[in-house]
Amino acid sequence: MIHTFRVALSLAHREFTRFIRQPHRVVGTLAQPLLFWVFLGSGFRGSFSPPGMGGISYLEYFYPGVMAMMMLFASIFASITIIEDRDAGFLQGVLVAPVSRMAIVLGKVLGGTAIALGQVLIFTIAAPFLGLHLSAGGFVLLLLAFVLTGIGFSALGFMLAWPMRSSSGFHAVMMVFLMPLWMLSGALFPMNGAPAWLYWAMMLNPVHHALELIRAPFYAGPAELFGRFDYDLSLAVAVAWAVGCLVISMVRVERRERGAALG
Amino acid sequence: MIGYAAFMIDIAHLSYVYPGSRKAPRRVALDDLSLSIGEGEFAILSGPNGSGKSTLFRILSGFAVPSAGQVRIGGFDLVAEPAKVRTLLGVVFQSPAVDKHLMVHENLKIHADLYGVGATDWGDALDWTDLGGRMNDRVDTLSGGLARQVELAKVMLTRPRVLLLDEPTTGLDPSARRNFLGAVHRLHRERGLTVLMTSHVFAEAEDADRVAVMREGKLLAWGSPASLKAMIGTEMVVVRSRDADGLAARMRADLGLAVRCIGEECRLEETENGTGLPLLERILERYRADIISIAIKQPELEDVFVHVTGTKGDAP
Repeated sequence: MIHTFRVALSLAHREFTRFIRQPHRVVGTLAQPLLFWVFLGSGFRGSFSPPGMGGISYLEYFYPGVMAMMMLFASIFASITIIEDRDAGFLQGVLVAPVSRMAIVLGKVLGGTAIALGQVLIFTIAAPFLGLHLSAGGFVLLLLAFVLTGIGFSALGFMLAWPMRSSSGFHAVMMVFLMPLWMLSGALFPMNGAPAWLYWAMMLNPVHHALELIRAPFYAGPAELFGRFDYDLSLAVAVAWAVGCLVISMVRVERRERGAALG
Repeated sequence: MIGYAAFMIDIAHLSYVYPGSRKAPRRVALDDLSLSIGEGEFAILSGPNGSGKSTLFRILSGFAVPSAGQVRIGGFDLVAEPAKVRTLLGVVFQSPAVDKHLMVHENLKIHADLYGVGATDWGDALDWTDLGGRMNDRVDTLSGGLARQVELAKVMLTRPRVLLLDEPTTGLDPSARRNFLGAVHRLHRERGLTVLMTSHVFAEAEDADRVAVMREGKLLAWGSPASLKAMIGTEMVVVRSRDADGLAARMRADLGLAVRCIGEECRLEETENGTGLPLLERILERYRADIISIAIKQPELEDVFVHVTGTKGDAP
């Protein structure tokens, strides 16, 4: 168990080292959500006035949505490097080592989470300028939300990328599967006021629950949040999502190629 | 730690069948193969492309589960107890298994962590290498020979009992190749390792304890280099001709000799000491016009390979 954790940390450390030595990756994953936020946030400012949300500017409304986007993109782009690891040969050396298969998954997932966390924490500096204030307890909840969503998204990326042999296939998955999940998360527009079918699509979308976990600590303290059904539901969904993707990933890594039956 | 075993690597009736798909038909890669390698032996696995060497290597490394048969390494069943087998194995793959974007010492550290080897007990693991001054260099800045040394160094760091190498000298220049093999042989001797290496280069097999020749998933020959060479006598006559098939047919008819024809070469094997020269003279006298060159030679492993597989190896 301790060995598993040490191996995972060592592999995660490798992810982080590689990431910070590739400046274009750092700039790319940080700049894209920022541009989204500034352009869309400023552009929709005048036309955004949903019922019951008076006093919230679109820039402020969109802020947690951009955080969720950062977590989604940074985690997933980090964990699909498993395709590159397989291609470059690094992975074969890890697979023959006497390490639990969970350590291999966790190494990638924790590395991806750390990379995403680093970026989103830089972005968090903007909060006071929007007039958003975090209590100490709120900050802990926000961190928890980042870590949970980071693990969930990284594990999702790992699970999807494991059987793939080239990263070009992954971009299709990204556009037709992950982008819609983010768009229907409530990042761009609020749920109330949406048509019923859209409301339920958003309710069933795990990224929506991840976003709720990120948004809530800016507006309420821990004591209030844990007593709210919608917050606890989102927490449960995020945990189940992370555990589910981790378990499926591990099963996939564990599986060995089998020879066909004789005859 | 190691269970009781008569052999370090014990392969029994191993078969592997690739299931057919739309892209490729069903293919038998290993066909009832049995092979046992004792502790401390240096064994070389050779065979033409497609002979099943790579499939066998994938099974031994634990990446593929055989269709039938059994493999035991250090007494542990490879399929039932993969985790136990992994602790005994050191594997050097044909393609690099280090992260070339990281420095040499970072790669070694990750590998040590994977095997739970502390950062301090590396000890003599690196003494044999030429990596001393290059530890802080990124692997992609090293020469091919040094990069290979990193592969071997990281594997040796974990003190394996069994070393598997898959065509490890592919792409190395002759001096780097000699260096690398020298290191493998020295480590084998000094640490009592069991070594199984696949190779296309027959010169590499001359120093091995045992050599296996595979073709189409079957084991065609298995023994020490000397015993294999004894299979084809102590001398052989090799004739090159533009029309080798025609010449071979005539020699068979006229002289009543067994002639093997490969490309533009006719080979008269199983010739005993001293009979080669008179035979050469007779052939030269009769067929001079058809002959490009003719020679007597002592059999080398490459000749054994030609003898048992009926093809020329793709060795340089």
